[in-house]
Amino acid sequence: MLHLPTVQFTEEQEQFRVEVRAFLQDELAKGTFTPKCDSWLSGDDPEFSRLIGQQGWIGLTWPKKYGGQERSTIDRYILTEEFLAVGAPVAAHWFADRQTGPLLLRYGSEEQREFFLPQIVKGECYFGIGLSEPNSGSDLASVTTRAEKVEGGWIVNGQKIWTSNAHLCHYMVTLVRTSPFDGKNKHAGLSQLIIDLQAQGVTIVPIKYLTGEHHYNEVFFDNVFVPDNMVVGEIGNGWAQGLAELAFERSGPERILSTFPLIDELIQELKRQNNSQGLTQASKIVARLWSLRNLSIGVAQLLESGNSEDVSIPAALVKALGTKFEQSIPEITRLIIQTYPSLDADRKIDRFMAQSILHAPGFTIRGGTSEVLYGVVAKGVVAQ
Amino acid sequence: MSEMKDMITEVVERMLKENVDKDLVDTVEQGDWAPALWELFEENGMTVVAVTEENGGAGGDIEDLLNIVRLTGKYAAPIPFIETTFANYLLEYLNLQILEGLATYRLSTNQVFTLENGTLTGEAHHIPWARHVKHLVTLAYSSEGTHLVEIDLSQADIKQGTNLAGEPRDTVTFQHALVSQTSSVLSPDEIHKLTTLCTAFQLALMTGAIDKINDLTIQFTKEREQFGRPIHRFQLVQQHIVHLAGETALALAAFNNVTEALLTNNENSEVAYARIRFEEIIQAVTTISHQVHAAIGTTHEHSLHQFTRRLWAWRDEGVNSSYWTNIVALQLMENSEDSLWAYLTTSNSSSPLLKVEG
Ligand SMILES: Cc1cc2nc3c(=O)[nH]c(=O)nc-3n(C[C@H](O)[C@H](O)[C@H](O)COP(=O)(O)OP(=O)(O)OC[C@H]3O[C@@H](n4cnc5c(N)ncnc54)[C@H](O)[C@@H]3O)c2cc1C
Repeated sequence: MLHLPTVQFTEEQEQFRVEVRAFLQDELAKGTFTPKCDSWLSGDDPEFSRLIGQQGWIGLTWPKKYGGQERSTIDRYILTEEFLAVGAPVAAHWFADRQTGPLLLRYGSEEQREFFLPQIVKGECYFGIGLSEPNSGSDLASVTTRAEKVEGGWIVNGQKIWTSNAHLCHYMVTLVRTSPFDGKNKHAGLSQLIIDLQAQGVTIVPIKYLTGEHHYNEVFFDNVFVPDNMVVGEIGNGWAQGLAELAFERSGPERILSTFPLIDELIQELKRQNNSQGLTQASKIVARLWSLRNLSIGVAQLLESGNSEDVSIPAALVKALGTKFEQSIPEITRLIIQTYPSLDADRKIDRFMAQSILHAPGFTIRGGTSEVLYGVVAKGVVAQ
Repeated sequence: MSEMKDMITEVVERMLKENVDKDLVDTVEQGDWAPALWELFEENGMTVVAVTEENGGAGGDIEDLLNIVRLTGKYAAPIPFIETTFANYLLEYLNLQILEGLATYRLSTNQVFTLENGTLTGEAHHIPWARHVKHLVTLAYSSEGTHLVEIDLSQADIKQGTNLAGEPRDTVTFQHALVSQTSSVLSPDEIHKLTTLCTAFQLALMTGAIDKINDLTIQFTKEREQFGRPIHRFQLVQQHIVHLAGETALALAAFNNVTEALLTNNENSEVAYARIRFEEIIQAVTTISHQVHAAIGTTHEHSLHQFTRRLWAWRDEGVNSSYWTNIVALQLMENSEDSLWAYLTTSNSSSPLLKVEG
């Protein structure tokens, strides 16, 4: 389980990396976007998402008949790394590309795939993740939002919370109870519904992030009708389907690189200052990054080879270690170089520091807290 | 220690508890502040604690004052309390006139203000509260050396800015502006002493915020339930609680030892040690408290960030820990004692600070 495969990039893959990088540098030079830390969750820019869609870079691994490119998981890994390394605003289409597409390809109906995937690929259709509720965070199985069967569909009542970018999203994959809670088997009776966020009875209320920015939301459902064809997979199988999604969500480069623009700027600044002592210290960051990246790519390779039953433990491990690393970057940086962190600073490193410090608390919380992941990893390692 | 201390801290804590809530603290971020709270502090004589009675002060000593500062940090009180009281403390310390009204200070040895024929010229960044206050007390450099001067801010060009917590940190520019008071030339030792006092005031403010974060977090672990029980029952959360409590206790003890040392004029390296150790304390306390609060703690609506953001901002303002690590390094280098232990246990030794300049 701890022996992960290594990856040697092929010449085509290296070529692809160069192509993506050149494109991003071009757009950067044109002023299409402003680089920032945590750009995959807090950098939303629908126009940029459409641009990426035009490049054919959303749904890269999906079948061509839905608009995808049938490229490998490793190609997608490379693409994602390049976005994050430069701090490009990819948040708008992020969840649809990372999670919803793969979910529909695995469990969705043909009708759902044909309807949603081509829109997602264009960078025009965004999905939110509707898991957490006010009283159900780590204990996700205790969700109480419920769907009741009616003629032709389901009536949903309840509430989700912390839904990133719901205010920009068109749909939300929502975990609901379709049969009453059973204390003996609390994972049973859960289902995944695609809810149209424009539907009658849906109310989206912003929650301000601690910086004052509008990032996540509360989403209320008051007798919202969801047609039968918007059920994902099987009724009652929502927990298992959701777990399968997690392998895609937990181990990607975004669990290591959220503060990469800061690392990059730190090195640049030290070079400008000809500060070799600082670079000596910074080399430890680089070595940590390299070693974590080996793990993360190893998991991507396992996913590529379809060995996915082995993936969940190393994936959780990558998230636990990787997010701690990316969270530590501003703390290490300020010991190497003098900064005055401020969101509207002129100096790039001060701006990246502020973004990193203020967003870092979320890294080890979103997508399952580190404490919960430690439990998953420990159980998995011991069970071997 | 003054007998007034318990009484003063009790009164101040009550005033803050009754008058400061989340919304009031938020007004700072919106560019406003709390004049009514300031008036209340004034009416109760709290703005002139540790100023001698002959100068119109309320008596009390530096320990009393630092404890009030600590409490303003604990409630994130949106008033220029540390700014005004420290400005006055500096002035009185150098036998200058203490001020009527609000003031701020800048003690960085980064030489930006030049003093020439009684006028000040130069531009400084990140001056706390400049837009709201009347006087600035700052170091200034003449052909003779370094002085402490006091100047009326109405003569300044002020560009507004904020720190990570949204507190006012303005850019202040003077063009041959008339200073109101000037000290004689300060020796490096005197500047170091002023820097030590300045850091002690900042430590007080930080200690208050750390204390508050600990309170908020412990309370939260009792209220928040997951998996059918309060989260303080989970061992990983218990580990966080212990780490947090430990760092908080260290901060409080460090602060109390610093005030004790200052009070008896016995300060040797206490401020240096405390300021260096506060780096780790702040990192631990902010990280743990956010981790335990999870999503709710990342919202603007929750008050946790009013304290964590302040700590993240304050640790990079003014004289920071690298100044103090240099001081300790120098002391260790030049220590004539036989061993580290002998050095550590020698109190009242004169330190080789003359060689250190900002
Ligand atoms: C920036 C951000 C974006 C988010 N975006 C989304 C989104 O788009 N969609 C969505 O559904 N959710 C989202 N979330 C919510 C996220 O999934 C939850 O915050 C997370 O699952 C934790 O839940 P909670 O916040 O309720 O914390 P709680 O579960 O209440 O946890 C509080 C503390 O107790 C600890 N704890 C709880 N149970 C245990 C245990 N058994 N053992 C040890 N420790 C335990 C936790 O680790 C944590 O430290 C987002 C969160 C953040 C911060």
